[in-house]
Amino acid sequence: MAKWGMVIDLEKCVGCQACTVACGMENSRLPGEMWQDVIFFTEGTHPSAQLKWFPRPCQHCENPSCVAVCPTHATYKTEDGVVLVDWNRCIGCKYCMIACPYGVRFYTDEKPLVAPDMRKVLASKDDHSWNPPWKMPDAREDWKHGVGIQPHDVVSKCTFCYHRISKAPPGTPDLDPQDPKLREFTPACVVTCAPGARYFGDLSNPNSEVSRMIGDKRGVRLLDQLGNKPQVYYLTGDGGAVPSSRAINKKV
Amino acid sequence: MSMDLLKTPITRRRFLQATGTAGALGAVGAGTLPNFATLTEAQATTPPSGGQTVVTKSFCHQCPARCGIDVYTTDGRVHAVYGTLDNPLSEGKLCPKGHYGQYLLYDADRFKGPMKRTNPKKGRNEDPKFVPISWDEALDTVAKRLNDLRAKNESHRFGLIYGRGWGATDAGLFKDWSALYGSPNIGLGHSSMCSDGSEEAKKILDGNHAYNAYDYANTNYMLVFGAGFLESFRPFTGNMRAWGVMRTKPAKTKVTFVDVHLNTSAASADRALLIKPGTDGAMALAIAHVILTEGLWDKPFVGNFVDGVNHFKPGETVAAVFTDEDIRNRTLAKEKAAAEKAAADKIAAEKAAAEKAKTKAALAKLLEEQVLAKGNPAAEKAIAGKIAKFEKEEAKKALSEEIDRKQREALDKDKKPEPEIKAGQALFEEKWVLGLPEWWNAVLKDCTPEWAEKITTIPAKTIHAVAREFGTTHPAIAIFERGAHAHTNGTYSGMAIHSLNALVGSMFAQGGLHYQMKPPAGKLPIKAEDFMDDYAKAPERKKPRIDMVKTDKWPMASNMLQEVAKNHNTAAPYKLDTVMFYMTGPVFSGPDCTAWEKMLGEIFVINTSPFPDETSVYSDLILPDHTYLERLQVADTYPYQGYPISMIRTPAVKPLYDTRVFGDMLIDLGKRIKGPMGDYYKQVGNTENIIKAIATAFAEKPGDNGVNSYESWKEKGVWYKKPYLWRQIRGEFYEWDKATKSYSKRMTQEAVKEKLMKTPSGKFEFKSGYLEEEHHVHYLVEKFGLPAEMIAFPQYLPANHAGGGDLHFVSPKLAMQAEGRSGNLPHATASMQPSVGGKKTVYLEIHPDTAAKRGIKDGDRVRVKSSVGSIEVYARLYGGIRPDTVALPMIHGHWGMGRWTKNRGVSGSTNEVTPNVSDAISGQCCYHSAKVFVEKV
Repeated sequence: MAKWGMVIDLEKCVGCQACTVACGMENSRLPGEMWQDVIFFTEGTHPSAQLKWFPRPCQHCENPSCVAVCPTHATYKTEDGVVLVDWNRCIGCKYCMIACPYGVRFYTDEKPLVAPDMRKVLASKDDHSWNPPWKMPDAREDWKHGVGIQPHDVVSKCTFCYHRISKAPPGTPDLDPQDPKLREFTPACVVTCAPGARYFGDLSNPNSEVSRMIGDKRGVRLLDQLGNKPQVYYLTGDGGAVPSSRAINKKV
Repeated sequence: MSMDLLKTPITRRRFLQATGTAGALGAVGAGTLPNFATLTEAQATTPPSGGQTVVTKSFCHQCPARCGIDVYTTDGRVHAVYGTLDNPLSEGKLCPKGHYGQYLLYDADRFKGPMKRTNPKKGRNEDPKFVPISWDEALDTVAKRLNDLRAKNESHRFGLIYGRGWGATDAGLFKDWSALYGSPNIGLGHSSMCSDGSEEAKKILDGNHAYNAYDYANTNYMLVFGAGFLESFRPFTGNMRAWGVMRTKPAKTKVTFVDVHLNTSAASADRALLIKPGTDGAMALAIAHVILTEGLWDKPFVGNFVDGVNHFKPGETVAAVFTDEDIRNRTLAKEKAAAEKAAADKIAAEKAAAEKAKTKAALAKLLEEQVLAKGNPAAEKAIAGKIAKFEKEEAKKALSEEIDRKQREALDKDKKPEPEIKAGQALFEEKWVLGLPEWWNAVLKDCTPEWAEKITTIPAKTIHAVAREFGTTHPAIAIFERGAHAHTNGTYSGMAIHSLNALVGSMFAQGGLHYQMKPPAGKLPIKAEDFMDDYAKAPERKKPRIDMVKTDKWPMASNMLQEVAKNHNTAAPYKLDTVMFYMTGPVFSGPDCTAWEKMLGEIFVINTSPFPDETSVYSDLILPDHTYLERLQVADTYPYQGYPISMIRTPAVKPLYDTRVFGDMLIDLGKRIKGPMGDYYKQVGNTENIIKAIATAFAEKPGDNGVNSYESWKEKGVWYKKPYLWRQIRGEFYEWDKATKSYSKRMTQEAVKEKLMKTPSGKFEFKSGYLEEEHHVHYLVEKFGLPAEMIAFPQYLPANHAGGGDLHFVSPKLAMQAEGRSGNLPHATASMQPSVGGKKTVYLEIHPDTAAKRGIKDGDRVRVKSSVGSIEVYARLYGGIRPDTVALPMIHGHWGMGRWTKNRGVSGSTNEVTPNVSDAISGQCCYHSAKVFVEKV
């Protein structure tokens, strides 16, 4: 069984947010409720000013805090290493949102970022939170794996595009979107990333491209000290490491 | 604008069309019409297609780049757009905007069919009170007006203004339409409000009025002036793909970005330089200065001083030719050198003789010792050893001298004879450039980095460093866009920057710049010129365009859209009567845009946008186009890698509403014009016929992907043929040889002039023959106050900053900004300006010191004010912008576009503050040249 993981090369990432948008359209996300955020930071003053960014999907931890705290076992880890939410079980208590150290979980019924509320304009008549005309084909919706338009009163998160990757031929070491045979099984963000900053593959296969890159390019994990052991690795090259601030005391 | 415009009326028939089922009407209930929910209902009731997903080939519409896209449709619903894997422009990738295609298709605020205005009063806050009409009524109304104008001898008063033209089936129709109907104003383009400054600078220097194609994957240095390379510079997806290659190839491409604030492009670079707005040209000149004084120019392409000595010395002029005195001095110097050499040879010979005598003496001494040592075996052995060692060393010395002598002889044999220089001969022998020493003398000699530092505020040390990197890291590319050239001095600045590409030999080189080739295209069997009536042929038809291009007012500009409202309002040269808009909204996007409201208030306005916008508020007729996923349309590629590419859009779904593709609208209108013009368009029929005719050319020239017909073109979405046909290699030009698959056919100077450098000299002209044309000289002398002998050179002239304020004002384009429509896309708005947290609104970036001086705190409501108007926005304190500059993206502030543009925190278009000022050469609108006041509200 594969253990799916992602490698993001920060040296190539240009902060264009195509990953955010591709994911948002693939998974019918609401404005500002994007599973695949790119977080931007600014600090300092020119000529020493910094503008930097950090693409942050769900880290799909080996030891996920969210799974440990879920009272209904709605959040779970699949055999192929993906953390998912079963919307049939989720009661929307948001405990997982508090437990997750990475801030990658989303509750449905928040105040809309951009008004008028799209949930009202493109309203759903059933349990779905809204009904965009561009939603994925109905047959693809899969609440057990948290795939589809988010229903009311549940928590959702990046699924590594489970509806795509779960159909990949068994034993595939890497889901390379430039391979026409594998493209449709590759997560949306990886498919579209123009500078090619994203790689997706089987971390349990030492010969996979992702495994080799983590070795060769000294892949690092976000907040590794917490012991969650994310399955998303970052390559920092000389493009900087995980963002930090130079400010010693912002109040001064 | 009242919300009534958005509640576009929908007829019963149209609703049926949209839903696709009659039964749905009963289910929804007519009482709920018209309202926004109809769209959702329509989609929900689309008949299922059995769950099969169909992928349609098209190309993106969100920027001019034209990336190939795969449109995924299931059950009649478009649910995804991804880049096409085997399309050269996208290679399977897209930028963020590309994924919003289906969003525009299902835009809840779309127009649902043709409509006419019933409220004769026009104004920003007047409800047009549109009522639905049929296409026949709509087109008959327009045709009547146009036939009447002809009857009154006033056909020139019909104008067609367009923005993004795609190709043969839209913008390609204007020329014939204009000639047949008899109006010079059909096809008034927007290029002066886009980036004409860039094209004009290239035309002046290398004869190509075009943007460049670039070989990024092979470049090792990139110097970018005022182009948002990783946000808005085209083709954006291509740039990002190239970036991934450039920044991780074994020799990583080093990048310096020059801008006025830290954006994601500048932040991605190795070096971000924040330059004083409008001074980019000065920095480029200083770089050229260093390249010349330090001898870093590319000799094979540029040429060199005949005597091999670098005569470019800061502040000193270079003589054009060698004088008699130069020759005398050369002779004297040669004689002096010869005398010195003779003297040195003599000393060396004496030294050698002395050495030889010494050796001889030493040997004699050893032989003497040998005689004395006879009989003493130990001493004998010792002395024999000494002698052997001495002889061995002598032999070694002799051998070494022999090798030296042979080497000298060999080198002397290969030595080229010293150039015979005569008086009157040019000092500098130019290869593919023209006027370098003249440019140096007239401009560059004084353009030291220290000089440029005073103008640009970029430290001289940094300019030195950039110049040395640029001059020594081949191949290197210098790029510029609106940040650098949307100023009154823009063409000259652009020329200074583009000249760097010639100095380092990057023109047409691997890893350098080319120009885009055109694909083949078949034509319809009929010719428009055979259908011109006497009216169209009459000499009276030769009227100036309303924007006055190609007249004494704008002799070199291609289009002057920003002049149209101004000229109409002052009736100079005349007033328009009827105007049709296609893919542009200068009433929001033009400089000093409120002038358009006056014009639109007094003429008959036809808008063809599928969506409500500010033009619609003033429109008399709405003739809505399809959105692009519903269209059949073609286009040549945007400049990319040089080899020709021809794209086609095929409809992914049937039109959702009662809309019509713009090209067909124009053809159907042509059919209604009296006389032979009507016959012509009846024979043309529709845009599909034109597209089929184009595709006939592919039968003879099949694309690399096998496309050889209309059907295969639609199937693949693209025709292309690699490679680019020409390359400059170490100062020689070669054409691609099919047989050997290499650039091996050497080109003549004439061929280079015809195909590549289309200047009067066939060279890259630092002293431009085009600017020296007589009618240009007079114009330039008058406009720039320059002496006639100076006008032809790239140079720095201070920009005129209109607006009267104390802070520079720029209005950049962002990565999330799709062609004109993202203001109404809530998803785009939510990610619009990530660098400073613009998610509900976009912020005015202001330096903390600048803000403090004005009592402005982060998040404060502020007023941006100039001599032409003012708007209110929220301020964001940002240390990444120059203290003398503020930046506000041109995106929000709409007042007629849709429900999600309302209350976006920006009270009006940035162009209500931007004065209407243009560069006299290119006509480029100076969007980034204004100066404003910023104050707390």
